[in-house]
Amino acid sequence: MFHGKVIDASKGTISLDAAQKFITSEKCGASLFFIGTVRNHNNNKNVTGITYDSHDAIVEKSFKEIYDEAIQKLKLEYPVVFIEHTKGYVPLGGISIIIAVAAKHRSQVYDLSRYIIEEIKKRTPIWKKEHYDNNESDWLKGNPVIDIEKK
Amino acid sequence: MKIKIELFGAARDFSKEDFLELTLPEITSVKEVRENLADFIQSKYPDNKNFLEIVKRSAFANEQNEIVHDDYKLSNQSKLCIIPPVGGG
Repeated sequence: MFHGKVIDASKGTISLDAAQKFITSEKCGASLFFIGTVRNHNNNKNVTGITYDSHDAIVEKSFKEIYDEAIQKLKLEYPVVFIEHTKGYVPLGGISIIIAVAAKHRSQVYDLSRYIIEEIKKRTPIWKKEHYDNNESDWLKGNPVIDIEKK
Repeated sequence: MKIKIELFGAARDFSKEDFLELTLPEITSVKEVRENLADFIQSKYPDNKNFLEIVKRSAFANEQNEIVHDDYKLSNQSKLCIIPPVGGG
């Protein structure tokens, strides 16, 4: 079972309750929640918040592709995955992403959760603009989604 | 022919609008869009090397939300999205 969505911060919030409800399954003996939050420092700067930009359609497609790949690669039993990522402004301490997973065994949920977040960081079109305490802001350099040499 | 490029992430700073329009020769590929976009950036922001680096390191996506490579062919009024290096989470 899979749920993957981008949530616009001006219209709603991502919710741990919704994640927990979605992944609850009598077939699963393990569940794990990964929560990404905005921290107060990066690259020796004091961060006050982050604005997330997203290509929503490709993001949601990418979440599903990553889920399908994970099932194949990790040979999971009864996997359940809930992914939501915030779009728009997230203040200090605010939640940017929830990845909630459930599967038959504990080792599977650790592998599954780690696989999903690492792949999202590599290829899912989400961007961060950090805001600093001097009122400046900057887009973070990220990972190219194509091989620059081959294109 | 005209190509519309929807802007995302750091590329949003290329324009006050959410998109750019380029006028290109007929039978254009993503490679030529990238080159023309680089020329446009160089003429509009001659001192901003960061913008040029973004163009160089970006992917492009078509209207079907697929990442397309430099040999992907475009027609008049095609729309692309520029996908700068990503970093969510």
